[in-house]
Amino acid sequence: MIRYTLQRLALAVPTLLGIVILVFLLLHLAPGSPVTALGAESGRRVSARAAEEMRRLYGLDRPLPERFATWLVRVGRLDLGESFVDHRPVATRILEALPYTLLLNGLALLLTLGIAIPLGVAAGGHPEGSLDRVSGVVLFALYSLPSFWAALLLQTLFSVRLRWLPLYGVASDGTPSGWAGLSDRLEHLALPVVCLTYGSLAFFARLVRSGVAEARQHDFVLAARARGASPRRALWAHAFRNALLPLITLLGLMLPGLLSGSVIIERIFAWPGVGRLFFDSILARDYPVVLALSLLGAVATLVLTLTADLAYALADPRVRDGTEPR
Amino acid sequence: MRLLATTLVAIALLAGCRGKERQGAFAAPRKSPAPAATRVGSSPADGGTLYRRLFGEPGSLNAVLQTDVPEQLVLQYLSRNLFDFDDRLALVPGLAERFETSPDGLSFTVHLRPEAVWEDGVPVTPSDAVFTIRKIADPGTSSPLYKSFFEDLVSVEEAGPHAFRARFRRVDAYRAMAFALPLLPARRFQGVAFDRAPDNRAPLSNGPYRLTSWKAQESITLERNLRYWGPRGYFDRIVFRVVPENAVAYRALVQGDLDESWIDAPLKQRAAEDPAFSQCCRVVEFYDLDYNYIALNARLPFFADPRARRAVTMLLDREGIARHLFQGSARVISGPWAPESPAYDSSVEPLPFDPKGAAALLEDLGWRDTNGDGIRDRDGREFDFELLVSAGNTIGRQIDETFAAALARVGVRARVRPLEWASFVERVDSGAFEAASLASSASDPNPDPYPYWDSSQWPPRGLNSGFYRNPEADRLMEQARGERQEDRRIAIYHRLHRIFRDDAPAVFVVNATKKYGLRRRLQGVETSPLGLFGIWPGPLGWWALEAPAGVRP
Repeated sequence: MIRYTLQRLALAVPTLLGIVILVFLLLHLAPGSPVTALGAESGRRVSARAAEEMRRLYGLDRPLPERFATWLVRVGRLDLGESFVDHRPVATRILEALPYTLLLNGLALLLTLGIAIPLGVAAGGHPEGSLDRVSGVVLFALYSLPSFWAALLLQTLFSVRLRWLPLYGVASDGTPSGWAGLSDRLEHLALPVVCLTYGSLAFFARLVRSGVAEARQHDFVLAARARGASPRRALWAHAFRNALLPLITLLGLMLPGLLSGSVIIERIFAWPGVGRLFFDSILARDYPVVLALSLLGAVATLVLTLTADLAYALADPRVRDGTEPR
Repeated sequence: MRLLATTLVAIALLAGCRGKERQGAFAAPRKSPAPAATRVGSSPADGGTLYRRLFGEPGSLNAVLQTDVPEQLVLQYLSRNLFDFDDRLALVPGLAERFETSPDGLSFTVHLRPEAVWEDGVPVTPSDAVFTIRKIADPGTSSPLYKSFFEDLVSVEEAGPHAFRARFRRVDAYRAMAFALPLLPARRFQGVAFDRAPDNRAPLSNGPYRLTSWKAQESITLERNLRYWGPRGYFDRIVFRVVPENAVAYRALVQGDLDESWIDAPLKQRAAEDPAFSQCCRVVEFYDLDYNYIALNARLPFFADPRARRAVTMLLDREGIARHLFQGSARVISGPWAPESPAYDSSVEPLPFDPKGAAALLEDLGWRDTNGDGIRDRDGREFDFELLVSAGNTIGRQIDETFAAALARVGVRARVRPLEWASFVERVDSGAFEAASLASSASDPNPDPYPYWDSSQWPPRGLNSGFYRNPEADRLMEQARGERQEDRRIAIYHRLHRIFRDDAPAVFVVNATKKYGLRRRLQGVETSPLGLFGIWPGPLGWWALEAPAGVRP
């Protein structure tokens, strides 16, 4: 097992390096630079001399391999560098945005699972039943709604017309403390969470549904019923439990996505999260921030894949022996 | 040395504006195509909160390091300039009360107001000014907004307890505009890295408001600076909200979450049909100094000859564009200025829309379709070029499509290609483009065409990206820069205007109106050719009507 772990770890290092080199090259070889990205809002252009000085200040006049080596050495010392835009440490900027994105995406994921699992199990319990058919159509329709359009529509309805919910932002100006403050924050979360949830519902619900529908035909579900288990218990404790495995695998792969945020939703709801930071940083060619966020995503994905590999190996001796491929 | 005293009237003249018309800070707005801002209500009321919009978050509130509009909008409340432009584009005193120019026109002595203090009560000193200007000129500082003003600075030093003197290498008629400049408190930057100083996030104010909170990507809140030495603003509090999306900002305006927001032509149309908008808000529309043009690269065989550039200009129906794309809220221009600029000579008629004449010109130049593929060619090269546009520039895109369609009708092919901003600027500024749709945006009223059209400013040295050259124009531009007498300088610009029209270094398209949606409660809003915000008092002169009971303001 130790040997297997070391093997996987040894593979993870070159993978990470490969990703980092690729992102670095893509970013630096793409047209445009932090200097030409200036004036995006006003349309004003920077004088040639000011541009030249800025290039030198940002180290953009150095050869690419040198820039990469410098960056790599800094990252090795766990220093992500400074943002070109506001000259603050990149880590500070990311840590400012991360809680907002984790909160928004975490709640959206919980809500998705909270709806998708019961719905999927119920639909899978009676394949081709009325609930299965209706939910299939409704979920597919939701899945097809573009989120920017739905978001603007929901804003018009709930914020402008009905005035039930705030239009955008994290909290009201001068947020009260205690319960009132909490409810104010939840009101601000409502629309963006709904927008992030409705699209992924279909995905999860149909996955659970097909897993359950398949599992309920197995002998062990029938055996459970024969032993006197209620239909509900047979469905949840036996069929659903077996359909859970692919769901967990999928969740594991989706977790890094929690960190990255959604550009469109965060822009529309003026949510100060990672998605907006990433998007703005790409437009501004804020290389240190873009590189750090890419690195973060790559590390999270690698760690979770590694964990999944090790978990499989722990569960299945054939995997760690290499005697039988999974 | 005997200094030539310059009065404020002279400052106004130097600003190159119709200074005579100046009627004080609250002069009536200029002529506008739609009813512009007027003062309603009896007298300005004190108090309340003003909710303003930011498209994006400021990078830094260090006045020297600022790069774009968000910083400027916030800093206007925190950081007074030495001098400001008023709504007539005349320079008016700010932190400084006056300046003098040396007889050779190279030295400027600026006198600070003795009463000006920072928010901690410490006076604003000449050493602050010297520190700020030296920082801007320092090659180790990135100051994209101010760098070009001090590129030929020779020295800057204190000149008494309340004055400093800056000396420059050459005479520039518009030099005084360099002093529309905010200052930094020198003492706060001792012993810290300039671009990482804590003050960059929490600046010390010398203006009417002070920063109380900055929530990253969310909002910036200002409150009155009780130590402010000038006339106070009307609002108790200013809240800037970061709202990146226009459509959302429009909703926020209607809902009362914002007091103002920039709107484009489609949103203006929507506002006109939206009863919820007209109930709570109004549109303010006015002409400013910005204009649209299509840059042509004179290094290409297509655009090397002025006659060819004239021909393509004559192919674009600019009146039609003003009427249809801009719904009438735009004027056709004939040179590289907006009609609001004194440099613009309104007697210089734009080239006519004349496809037949244009086709004849192209024929004369040898551009004929010899191989029968529908595209004109000459010496084996097709008249086929790439027309770049910045991806976010919707109106530029529409102008380009109109242009391409018009060219296609006479056998010239233009391929419209949208590029994301940073890539677009890289191509244009380096001169590596064939044609490109651009919007000229003015941060001050300086009409000097030299940086954009003089042949010494070809890439990579300057911003004459289309490699335009005309020895006569070069001579006139150089002469105008050194001409300190305004009427003579304007006369030179008017001659240049005629040359630019005939040479057509670019297709000058239109000067369109700026449009803002404002809550009806907002009063005291003045428009200017520099917009609503780039002037003094600008937003500092705004105030709010009290809402009747039960009505959300």
